[in-house]
Amino acid sequence: MIHQELALVDDLTVAENIFLGDEPRHGWCIDWTALLTATKEVLERFHFHLDPELKVRQLGIGQKQLVEIARALSKESRILILDEPTAALSNSEVNQLMQILRQLRQCGVACIYISHKLDEVKEIADRITVLRDGETVVTMEAKDASTSDMIHHMVGREISELYPRRISARRDKIVLAVERLSAASRSHQSVRLQNISFSVRAGEVLGIGGLMGAGRSELLMHLYGLWGKRLGGNVSVLGQCYPFPSPRKSLRRGLVLITEDRKRYGLVLDQSVGWNVSLSSLQSITQHGLVSRVEETIRNAPMLDKLGVRKSSYEKAVCELSGGNQQKVVLSRNLLSDPEIVLLDEPTRGIDVASKLEIYDEINQLVAEDKAVVLVSSELPELIGMSDRIVMLHEGRIAGEFDRDQFRQETLMAAATGSELPSHSL
Amino acid sequence: MNRLRKTISLRNLTMPLVLAVIWVSFSIANHQFLSSRNLSMLMIEMAVTATLAVGMLLVILPGHIDLSAGSGVGMIGGIASVLIFRLGWSAPPSLLASFALAVLLWAGMATLIVQCRVQAFIITLGGLLLFKGCFWLIIQSSTVPVASGGETNLYSLLTTYYFSPSVGLLCLPVIIAGMVLIKLRDRRIRSRAGLHVEDAEISTLKMFIAAQVLFLVVLVCNQYRGVPLAFAILCVVALMVHVLVKHTPIGRYLYAIGGNEEAALACGVPVRQVVVLAFSLMGGIVAITGFMQTAYAGASTTTVGELMELDAIAACVIGGASLKGGRGTVLGTLFGALVMASLLNGMTLLAAAPAIKLITRGLVLVLAVLIDVKLREE
Repeated sequence: MIHQELALVDDLTVAENIFLGDEPRHGWCIDWTALLTATKEVLERFHFHLDPELKVRQLGIGQKQLVEIARALSKESRILILDEPTAALSNSEVNQLMQILRQLRQCGVACIYISHKLDEVKEIADRITVLRDGETVVTMEAKDASTSDMIHHMVGREISELYPRRISARRDKIVLAVERLSAASRSHQSVRLQNISFSVRAGEVLGIGGLMGAGRSELLMHLYGLWGKRLGGNVSVLGQCYPFPSPRKSLRRGLVLITEDRKRYGLVLDQSVGWNVSLSSLQSITQHGLVSRVEETIRNAPMLDKLGVRKSSYEKAVCELSGGNQQKVVLSRNLLSDPEIVLLDEPTRGIDVASKLEIYDEINQLVAEDKAVVLVSSELPELIGMSDRIVMLHEGRIAGEFDRDQFRQETLMAAATGSELPSHSL
Repeated sequence: MNRLRKTISLRNLTMPLVLAVIWVSFSIANHQFLSSRNLSMLMIEMAVTATLAVGMLLVILPGHIDLSAGSGVGMIGGIASVLIFRLGWSAPPSLLASFALAVLLWAGMATLIVQCRVQAFIITLGGLLLFKGCFWLIIQSSTVPVASGGETNLYSLLTTYYFSPSVGLLCLPVIIAGMVLIKLRDRRIRSRAGLHVEDAEISTLKMFIAAQVLFLVVLVCNQYRGVPLAFAILCVVALMVHVLVKHTPIGRYLYAIGGNEEAALACGVPVRQVVVLAFSLMGGIVAITGFMQTAYAGASTTTVGELMELDAIAACVIGGASLKGGRGTVLGTLFGALVMASLLNGMTLLAAAPAIKLITRGLVLVLAVLIDVKLREE
């Protein structure tokens, strides 16, 4: 079983993680040589390029996923269940995984592959089963299934397009300007962002793309004040210079971040939906020093309602909700602080198609209200479908900026991988 | 009946059951245990433990801990005693001065914790040793009475003053009326906001039980000398902390920091300031506990406050608080403190050896938490 959420021990090495609980022994002691050889063998068998002695903490999220997959494969399993295995993988890593799965299929291993990414499902699966609200909707042969069929079964209603169109009304008011920004991680001092410049106007969606580890999340988190130390460059928000960001100041200036890692940065899981939604804006519902429950519900309800969170779940603990609903809670909280600039980091990662649509609608509505949106996504179709302009990052630098008429998957991917396309293909 | 079973699950009844078992066994072993005199003493002892425990809850909620509380109780009580007995200050200014000192010291410790990112465990462990040493220096390892030669002052009255029976009986209807009004207001608010409203019958039943318990408490106290002042102090402190953690932004921040500090930071919670505030309040509560505990002993001696931090932490944990933070209630903590205080009181009454007292308290703490964890799993 491979989970969507990572289940690794950060402070142990790759080898220790792969054989956790099943270490080769030498009497009472762990046989380190055997452990390392066995790990090397497993990694090499599936062409994973990982150092078995590296601490998992030092790996990127995509590499961590590989470790988890290697752990499952090392058990000589007959049935492999993969729950959103590619949520954090880059395209080349996905291809590798697909290859491994085909290999396994030939060896007679059965795979259950759970994913929201329909292309992958079509590519790898022999048969496809669509579930909705805990029930089987349909099981079909993969070669007969088209993407739009699948989407149709998943949402239960006809949608003409996955990405709802909007009329893009270009304004000229620049609300977020980043000039030659460089920043380094606080703990390792390694420079992760270099010489980054871009600007965002009110009423537009700026897409930011790039491969895993290109610095997309770091960039957003740095602008919001959650990550890194600034080495140089200027950031201005709504025309004002913003040199020392912190989340508290960002919120006051109308800059909000919907994080990629909502369990870590977005939610207090033990607490209720309403409680989490209110956390950033308690001042406005406080009377005589006490939080007013009436005001709280009256204020939160329309927002949650609009995003499609049921009233019966307001008092449920957030950890009982689905990923999609959790994301809506994070979104509600941030939108309630009435932001001017919304930074979205992988807002649709690991959530169901219906919730995705609601989030796309919300993005369009924000833009219609003249807010600025910065959208980071590892899914190129999503970036292309939702953005007015796209900036591609490659290893912490800007690898290209594209306008709507230049959007093509190949061009963007070339920029993301840092390779030059011959000019005639543009 | 089914509705009733849904609200009053076994889990909610664990602590009352544990308490009932303790009380029944002690009253069988020694019929003096349920005498009004002993129950009044128990209430004062519980007031001291519970006040400190409620303060401890404030630092446990954001995921910290305070090991220096016990030493602090001794030291702050000792300073007040020295000011009165040796330097001849009158009681109110000496209490006030030591109170202010405690708030400053705890704010200082908290500043170290949040600015230098050292765990509270380490800093307050240092505080435990440091305060104990200072305490012994200040009272010169001798016995310093809280009031000179048989006089009474504000300090000594803290645990020896009892409200006259009529005052207790007069306050009772006022408090009960207040509780009912708040409950009614809460129900109205919830139904107006469209939230789930508890069944009317169950609310009435709960209110009725609460009123009965209060009535019984006052009645028992009045059979001896009346409601002790210490108990009233506990009620005020507990009520204030309860309102703070459940109904103010600060309280929500405390739960948020304990539940997920990174998320709290990302949500714009002023994490450092809130933690410093929680510790400062803890300092104030340590001072109040110190005054009560020293007054209860009659004098400041080297052993006052010893191991009290552990009783306070135990009370929080028995009351359902998580040492990781983010979980715990004032009501639960009060129950936990009552369990710990009952054990100590009962065993003292049975003239148990100090070793046996320690062993029993340890076992009960572990058992109570085990039962709680087991029930939570179900």
